[in-house]
Amino acid sequence: MAPTTRRNFLATASAATLSALAAGFPRAVAAQGAERLVPTADSVIVLWMGGGMAHTETFDPKRYTPFASGLRPHQVLSTFPSIDTAVDHIKFSQGLERIAGVMDRGTLIRSYTAGDLGFILHSRHQYQWHTGYAPPQTAAAPHLGAIVARTLGPRDPAMPAFINIGQRLDVGEGEELKAFTTAGFLGAEYGPFGVPYPDEAAEVVRPPSGMSPGRFESRDRFYRRLLEASPIGQEGSDYQRESLLRAYDNAHRLLSSPAARAFDLSLEPLEHIQKYVPGYTPGQQFRAVQDRFGATYERQMVGRFGLGCLLARRLVEGGARYVEVTTEYIPFLNWDTHENGHERLVAMKGQIDAPVAQLVLDLEARGLLGRTLVVLASEFSRDLLIEGKPDLKVKDQVEVPDLITEPKHYGMHRHFTDAGCVLLFGGGVRRGHVHGVTAEQRPCRTIQDRVVIEDLHATIFRTLGIAPTQAYEIEQRPFYVTRDGKGQAITSLLA
Amino acid sequence: MLQVRCLLLAAVVCAVSLPLRAQAPAARAVDFSRDIRPILQLSCVRCHARGNDKGGFSIETRESMLRGGDTGPALVPGQSADSLLVRLVSALEPDMVMPKKGSRLTGDKVALLRAWIDQGAAWDPGVTFARSTPRNLAPHAPALPDAPATAASPVDRLLHGYFATHEATAAPRVNDRQLIRRLTLDVLGELPSPADVHQFVADRASDKRERLVARLLADDRRYAEHWLSFWNDLLRNDYRGTGYIDGGRRQITAWLYAALANNLPFDQFVASLVNPVPGTEGFTKGIVWRGVVNASQTPEMQAAQNISQVFMGVNLKCASCHDSFINEWQLADAYGLASIYADRPLEMVECDRPIGKTAAMKFLYAELGSIDPASPRGVRLDQLMHAMVGPNNGRLARTIVNRLWARFMGRGLVEPVDDMEQAAWHPDLLDWLAQDLVAHGYDLKRTMAVILTANAYQRVAVNAAAANEPYVFRGPEARRLTAEQFVDAVSAVTGIWQTAPDARVNVALVRSHAVPSREQTRAALVAANPLMTALGRPNREQVVTTRAAAATTLQTLELLNGPTLADHLRRGAERLLASRKGSLEIVDDVFERALGRAPTSAERRLSSQILGPLPDAAVIEDLLWSVVMLPEFQVVH
Repeated sequence: MAPTTRRNFLATASAATLSALAAGFPRAVAAQGAERLVPTADSVIVLWMGGGMAHTETFDPKRYTPFASGLRPHQVLSTFPSIDTAVDHIKFSQGLERIAGVMDRGTLIRSYTAGDLGFILHSRHQYQWHTGYAPPQTAAAPHLGAIVARTLGPRDPAMPAFINIGQRLDVGEGEELKAFTTAGFLGAEYGPFGVPYPDEAAEVVRPPSGMSPGRFESRDRFYRRLLEASPIGQEGSDYQRESLLRAYDNAHRLLSSPAARAFDLSLEPLEHIQKYVPGYTPGQQFRAVQDRFGATYERQMVGRFGLGCLLARRLVEGGARYVEVTTEYIPFLNWDTHENGHERLVAMKGQIDAPVAQLVLDLEARGLLGRTLVVLASEFSRDLLIEGKPDLKVKDQVEVPDLITEPKHYGMHRHFTDAGCVLLFGGGVRRGHVHGVTAEQRPCRTIQDRVVIEDLHATIFRTLGIAPTQAYEIEQRPFYVTRDGKGQAITSLLA
Repeated sequence: MLQVRCLLLAAVVCAVSLPLRAQAPAARAVDFSRDIRPILQLSCVRCHARGNDKGGFSIETRESMLRGGDTGPALVPGQSADSLLVRLVSALEPDMVMPKKGSRLTGDKVALLRAWIDQGAAWDPGVTFARSTPRNLAPHAPALPDAPATAASPVDRLLHGYFATHEATAAPRVNDRQLIRRLTLDVLGELPSPADVHQFVADRASDKRERLVARLLADDRRYAEHWLSFWNDLLRNDYRGTGYIDGGRRQITAWLYAALANNLPFDQFVASLVNPVPGTEGFTKGIVWRGVVNASQTPEMQAAQNISQVFMGVNLKCASCHDSFINEWQLADAYGLASIYADRPLEMVECDRPIGKTAAMKFLYAELGSIDPASPRGVRLDQLMHAMVGPNNGRLARTIVNRLWARFMGRGLVEPVDDMEQAAWHPDLLDWLAQDLVAHGYDLKRTMAVILTANAYQRVAVNAAAANEPYVFRGPEARRLTAEQFVDAVSAVTGIWQTAPDARVNVALVRSHAVPSREQTRAALVAANPLMTALGRPNREQVVTTRAAAATTLQTLELLNGPTLADHLRRGAERLLASRKGSLEIVDDVFERALGRAPTSAERRLSSQILGPLPDAAVIEDLLWSVVMLPEFQVVH
């Protein structure tokens, strides 16, 4: 057999080797009653409020009780006054003025109800939110982004289909985060392309640190010549070599293509970055020492999430399919307020208000909002007094004093699952719409139009043209993209 | 009285009007396997098949179905409107609505059943809902056929004639250089040293291949370090992961390493895991997350699923939630096994719904041994253990020899390797290897030697078979280095190793020569890093018995610009630079270490061109990177 050169072996790849290439991936199982779903969105951006975002302090404000020493905890439903939004009958909590200004572009769900998982462990609920299934599972459940990547593929072949911005996996509960930040049984090809530090996004698609672009290109040239000279064509397998070189070409294309420029925030005009991150200075990095219960951490990190949102917009423009940006889940930090809740939410709102609004406006100005679904969500809500659901007995609750005497007790410090807010913009959802009602008195629980995770997922999938009964085969059985194929899209949310 | 009359009247009206409400037959051609079998499987077999015949009615075969039960024939082909079956599933007989358990048939399903009956009630040949004799269960010792002297190994004797029968060409014999590379990777997970390669190639003895296999298998330390990854995947043992955060999980690393280093006979290995001894409790303890756990994932159910999958090649995952649609296992089988581990009666839960019953305690196959439900847990685990490793269980040995075959050949004698109910492509070969393992005290290294010394293994690697073609064995398939093999191979090229293992080995349990090297800590003994994760090392939250073979873009991105590999190669380049070798020497050294051969003249010319006469660390690093990126380096041929 003549030596196969790199140049000709791809051209001569037989149908058999191509089918072998595909054989490693789980087979898709036809969705039941698969009427043709017409997608209204091509891309999804999930803005993840990891740690539990209190509904009464953000997008579902209740009666405001200012701080005063001697308050009884049961009096306190919201620690911020309400503000108007662009929609007459919708009020937000103070500190979210800019998002309030774009409420006429989106839909607000106030009745999201997290699963009853007993112990309220953040990572368990995050696992459930992101996979649709409660852990542990008999199969490695894929992340929502991986399902989308597997089902729809990349929009631009050079751009990873599933990009995950802002979550480090070596923080507390990191192993639990890894358990769902994965393509699971769908296979690594659909896994998350991680950008843990949005301020360093360009690095992840650049040559290794310390290597100039010139050296990177000369290394590539040398490698390709070495491949041509390799005697390997005389012995062994086309398929393995083909698979490796195909992957190499794809990877190299990302690093050297225009798609890579989408990761480079320095190409963005400064004044535009400042719309996402007020006061941003070029090259500014966001690093702070994590400190359990450290109230200053969130203030120092204001801006990190904003850069992530800007990056998400650039990536969607560049052809990304699924992008998730998180405020980052770290136990007891960010939205996970176990004390000083009021003060810390001032900082958290500062992190999200400008960039979320600007992202919506930017997508709109560029004509992308119509085909991009933006979802802002959290694993559950919080309350000052109630842990879980009102009638649920759970362990490990934050202590609440009989009387609130210090600011550190003033805020939503317990985990609440019976209500929660989800914001949806673009991608075919209704504009200026509210879904679900919660009680005005404690417990401020869902009293109308409850939304559960499989139906929220089905709604997201519906905009993308994916049926809730879509399934992939693992160990000869179907694994559905919504829990047991039972998700139902909430059609009243769709325009 | 008036009320009673009204009721009677209503009943009469109903009886008259009901037949009109029967669903019309579907207006299309019906296919038994596609349309009808799933309906029967889901709604009928529990009571009317697999040995059950409630009401004297069995649907195990077409004949028994037509015959019907105590109330007469169930169906008349061509006449669905008159068929009792249709009346019962359409709820036209208020006293006897079928199915009695589970949900009613939908209109669509009734329409399909009617159409099937009207179209003649065709039944695909061979299909039965009878309880089948389990495959690959009873021990069987086939006789070795005669074969010419060139096929002396038992494996080759059994395969003699196979290629002619299957009109296949066996791949040619692999050369010495390729063989020592493949063998060293397969047995020890590492590249052979250049000296080992040269010595082996130069050796003129006719039995050098057998001696090489024996020498490699005798390297207890490197053997244990390598096979630790295989067993960590199967037993989902890891140094980090979910559950450890609050004591919901325990490692079995120290016991496992010792078991491998000491070549613990496989029956004792399994016995120790099934009926835990100090150090193995973690396997059946499972992974417990805080909070409410789905009934199909309780620790007892995890134990049942994992024991069945890993050691018996039985998939109980479907049956943990409901009677399986893909195999014969039922909810009661999964609960029967799980409850052996439970310290309280386990109420059966079907698809999140408690059904108010407990299952009879039993092992998967009653013929292998009984469990006394009245005994305390410890006694029951002992009974279970004896059923697993007892002489009647031929499945245990078949499952593991099949896994070893798949490991060395790229594909099992039975596929998927976790479904031992499937037929082997060469049943006698599977059976012979299994009984040979048992006959030799469950010595896994012996079985490895049998396979590795056969001509069948010592052939040039072939392409993986396409999924849609019937499998014909021609030789071992080319495989990619695993994540751990890749990292160790790069270390062998650069001389840069990790020095801080995460795996805790108990040195008191292993002989001194098998204690892992700290200075050269193998990748298997450290926690996964982004490079290894990208290259397919699984997070061991679930049992993993097969890693994905195809290269992915994200993997290659990690190799192109990931900090883990870049840092490793930079340090390796600095080390080479400090050795003060000349360019040509460096090139030869790198090729010898990485590929087990000298560079060709073209490779040497290209490589020394890029290095130049006075190379710096950066160009040496680029050479190292380019060589470890070559398919020749990354694929086991």
